[in-house]
Amino acid sequence: MSLVSDPKGYWADLTRPEQGVLAFVLGFALLLLLGLLTGGIGPSYFLFLVGLAGMYSLLSFGLNVQWGYSGLINFSVAAFFGIGAYGTALASASSSPLAGGIPPVVGLFVALVLAGVLALLIGIPTLRLRADYLAIASIGLAEVVRIIILNEGWLTNGSAGVRGIPGFFEGWPVLETFPETMPGVIITALPGPTIVLGTNFWQALLNVALVLTLVGICYLVLRRVHRSPWGRVLRTIRSDEDAARALGKNTYSYKMQAFVLGSLIMALAGVFYAHLNLYVGPGDLNPITTFYVWVAVILGGSGSNRGALFGGFVIVAIQQGTRFLNEFGWIPVDVAPLRLLLIGVIIVLLMRFRPQGVLPPQRELIWRGVVDDAPSQPERGVRGSKAGESDD
Amino acid sequence: MSRDTIRELDRRTLLTLAGTAGIAGIAGCSTTDSDGGDGGDGGDGGGSDGGDGGDGGSSPYTIGMIDSLTGSLSAFGERNQRGKDLALAAVNEVGLDGRELAITVEDSESENQGGVSAAQKLVNQDRVPFVIGAVGSGVSLAIYESVISGTDVVQLSQNSTGLGLTDFPGLLRMSPTGRTQATALANIIADDGYDEVALTYVNNNYGSSLADAFKNAWDGDLAYDNPHDQDQQSYSGLVSEMNGSGADAWLFITYQAEYATMVNEMFSNGYEPQLYGADSVSGDNVLENTPEGSMDGMKIVVPSAPVEEQNYQDFASQFESEYDEAPTAWSAYAYDCVVTAALSILAADEFTGAALSEVVRDVTRPEGEQVTSFEAGAEILVDGGSASDVDYQGVSGPIDLDENGDPVGFLQITEVQNHSYEGIGFIEG
Amino acid sequence: MVLDLLANGLIYSSIIVLGSIGLSLVYSIAGFANFAHGDTMTVGAYSALVTFGAVGGLGGAILGLPFGFFVALAVGIAMAAVVAVVTEKVVYEGLDVGSIGLLITSIGIAFVYRAVIQMGFSSDFTRYDIQALRPIEALLPYGIRVTEHDVAIFVSAVVLVTGLHVLLQYTDLGRKMRAMADNPDLARVSGIRTDRVKLWTWVIGAGLAGAGGVFLGLYGRLAPRMGFDLLLVIFAAVILGGIGSVYGAMLGGVLIGMINQLTPLLSGVGALLPIVPDGWGIGLEYANALAFLIMVVVLLFRPNGIAGDGEGT
Repeated sequence: MSLVSDPKGYWADLTRPEQGVLAFVLGFALLLLLGLLTGGIGPSYFLFLVGLAGMYSLLSFGLNVQWGYSGLINFSVAAFFGIGAYGTALASASSSPLAGGIPPVVGLFVALVLAGVLALLIGIPTLRLRADYLAIASIGLAEVVRIIILNEGWLTNGSAGVRGIPGFFEGWPVLETFPETMPGVIITALPGPTIVLGTNFWQALLNVALVLTLVGICYLVLRRVHRSPWGRVLRTIRSDEDAARALGKNTYSYKMQAFVLGSLIMALAGVFYAHLNLYVGPGDLNPITTFYVWVAVILGGSGSNRGALFGGFVIVAIQQGTRFLNEFGWIPVDVAPLRLLLIGVIIVLLMRFRPQGVLPPQRELIWRGVVDDAPSQPERGVRGSKAGESDD
Repeated sequence: MSRDTIRELDRRTLLTLAGTAGIAGIAGCSTTDSDGGDGGDGGDGGGSDGGDGGDGGSSPYTIGMIDSLTGSLSAFGERNQRGKDLALAAVNEVGLDGRELAITVEDSESENQGGVSAAQKLVNQDRVPFVIGAVGSGVSLAIYESVISGTDVVQLSQNSTGLGLTDFPGLLRMSPTGRTQATALANIIADDGYDEVALTYVNNNYGSSLADAFKNAWDGDLAYDNPHDQDQQSYSGLVSEMNGSGADAWLFITYQAEYATMVNEMFSNGYEPQLYGADSVSGDNVLENTPEGSMDGMKIVVPSAPVEEQNYQDFASQFESEYDEAPTAWSAYAYDCVVTAALSILAADEFTGAALSEVVRDVTRPEGEQVTSFEAGAEILVDGGSASDVDYQGVSGPIDLDENGDPVGFLQITEVQNHSYEGIGFIEG
Repeated sequence: MVLDLLANGLIYSSIIVLGSIGLSLVYSIAGFANFAHGDTMTVGAYSALVTFGAVGGLGGAILGLPFGFFVALAVGIAMAAVVAVVTEKVVYEGLDVGSIGLLITSIGIAFVYRAVIQMGFSSDFTRYDIQALRPIEALLPYGIRVTEHDVAIFVSAVVLVTGLHVLLQYTDLGRKMRAMADNPDLARVSGIRTDRVKLWTWVIGAGLAGAGGVFLGLYGRLAPRMGFDLLLVIFAAVILGGIGSVYGAMLGGVLIGMINQLTPLLSGVGALLPIVPDGWGIGLEYANALAFLIMVVVLLFRPNGIAGDGEGT
């Protein structure tokens, strides 16, 4: 049943949480559209938020491969994010102490290679450890990476950070000057202030297109991977590693592959961040990013790609939405500890009432074709079917 | 074709047609801006304080402020807020030509990421043409690189002393560049007769740029030269190493929390070197949390307000009656940022970033009558004066923003005597 | 200088040991890595701050610390224990999510503790209102610079740890705790009230953490982030020593504390190594990084820690 041909059937087919999420997303999208049209939300700002959400979704995809598929508790998300950002920054920025001026696309590959190497460096000593040791070892090694980046100025400019990073599309024939060459558009018909879409807007649109492309590619790749035999082995490892080993699988090798794949995706998010922000510094490897991404994955549903996408958007909503609380002066407490409290309470409530997250992965693992062709109500029992009788 | 597919097609076609109609409708109501202007022009959108609806004449002028309300630099953020609140009250008592000034404050969380998203909100969502921000040279630079440069928005940082900001004329600041401080410190230490010094600095943009400037200006030996991390529980290893270096003069470029810990450790280890410090090591928090006599004789170079000036004394007494403690230079800078913004609004032709950036330096520069309060400056401007008729002398010093956006550095040398700060001299940069 | 660094190491280790023992106890009996342990230390420290502010000096002093401080210490320990027990009853007990889920929940709890403290006390730093002291004269000729406060920290830690040892080895409760740590199902079958033992473990573990927090505030300063910043180091100590072994945690705590304070000795290590240039050394800024690296290296060779019990999750 596809959405367009039979919406009612499609709706009935979804589980309750899926219906809830769909309704929520649609409602929220409608609200945002309304806000955009009436000028309540600035279009460039809105696109910036979408870009951030896409970035967190990418990070969540990466963590999902490691935790959701394979059960690896990886607390070094921030390190891979940072390595991705620094990799492309050091290659392409004008103030890079190592290189500079290299086209950002090459910088992307540099970042991926660095992330892969770092994944091996972190994975080799830690992946054999039991789950909670892996957690602590990974967080420790992430701190080591951050400390090295902060202190080795000859390598990374240290605390001054890397500035002068070009946009991602620098050197591309049309896209490089797209923001400048697109005409500014002024919309005056609707109630509210006039909306001006200028260079800022087109630049933001370009960025969003980039991150959505990355998100789309990763989503499709991961969906394929999740349902493949490789994904099945990972799921077996997650639920019972001894059983997987008993079946003759080299669990260590599979875990390493999942770890590296997840790290590459996280580095992608870092690359996008560098070309969005045009400035990276050691503060971008703050461990709090790791915790945000964990909340996103758990909220969305460990192992579920749609969940990771959803979680990424929710995290950005929480992070940036609590900013607007500043406007309400009557709240007696500071906003930052309030945000921390909110995140803490969300984690606790989630684990208490819905530890599998909002969109658990079971539904994703069912091939659509299997569901569609199955009879909704068997006409006869099993014996009858086996005897070869056919439907009308 | 079966009936089902005809129905499907109809529904799909319907949706497509509806979508196209919608876009066409919007397109029809839009016009193209021929020179593809940027989207950052400030409207007079509803601000946070006292925004009373959208009828053009009486709605407030809204500008933005990015402050470190949380995070490692939140102590500065709190002082800034106090200075800003006092200034806002002073400005709105007089009014901006009948309208009020409103400031939307966003939190940078003392981090680049937070600062950039705060700037994005202020510039792209609230569409302010003037942003006061941020605390911390690294954060200010990140905001400038990522959001501000390429737009017309004016950025005036209240607390950034890193040297890098001088290279960006579009990034203005109220706190003078650390280069003056560093040079002053090098001179003071040399004048006191020391030819080697042990140096430690906090490992961020502020600390390392100030340390670099000091190392450039210092002619003698550097017996010890190491950064340290913020927010550490103990610095006993650092202090031991400095002692082991053999130097008798120790220079600290760091923040209050870290420095208080170091002082306590020096005290409990019985070390008694001659202490020198850059601006951020001084403050009431340090005095309250260190033992008597632990720092006596320490010399600190502080960006300072001219303390014998009347306007500073008025500001200080107002601050003390409001908040029960003496103001720091950081509150004074925030105060001056707000007043400068307000004067620029009055002096500019329109409330846009481009117009404001033309006048913001001039209202603080020497051509024009020297005024020491917003009230006096507003009088001249409202009477038809222009930016060059006003020279605002702030509570933090003469300001006089130059073409790089740096103010004149007005420094005070303070010495710790009987566990309190006494001024012993002034330097003008 | 080496003696001085060793002395500093002993004192810093005392604080870490108080934290790591508590963490290891909770780990072996409640069965999960409690990420809120660092913030439990913060709770203890701030409770003591409030108490000391209210009670004052109360005349008299031991080792430079007024009696009122010891009262505040007791309150800090009690408050940390109470908060931990309440959290266990309200949150952890009802969860059915396995040890990984509990780990994640404890992260949420850590945020909650820290947020509440920050709301109550602002994020600025502060110290106890106790007169700071000069180093002990008698030890100065040896190059050791410690104050009476430092000695007090060390002595108190020794007292508390000895008390724990006595409890574990010679009392009924201690025997039950050791039984539960070894084999929870067998313990329950043999009639031990496991939930009661668990509660007592929380009390003791969190109480020790609270004491560690109070001393941490005395040694350094109080800030809402103090516990969380130390948490990683404490985890490194526990894992180094081996989860499931209280004595391993002690050893791990001492090792990590010593490594952290002895890092200045490595600043000239380039001169000792053959290929490395002479001027090269490991700077102080790598002190924490060094602790983590050593932990990872030890785990490479002994995946269950030095004194670990080899149990699975």
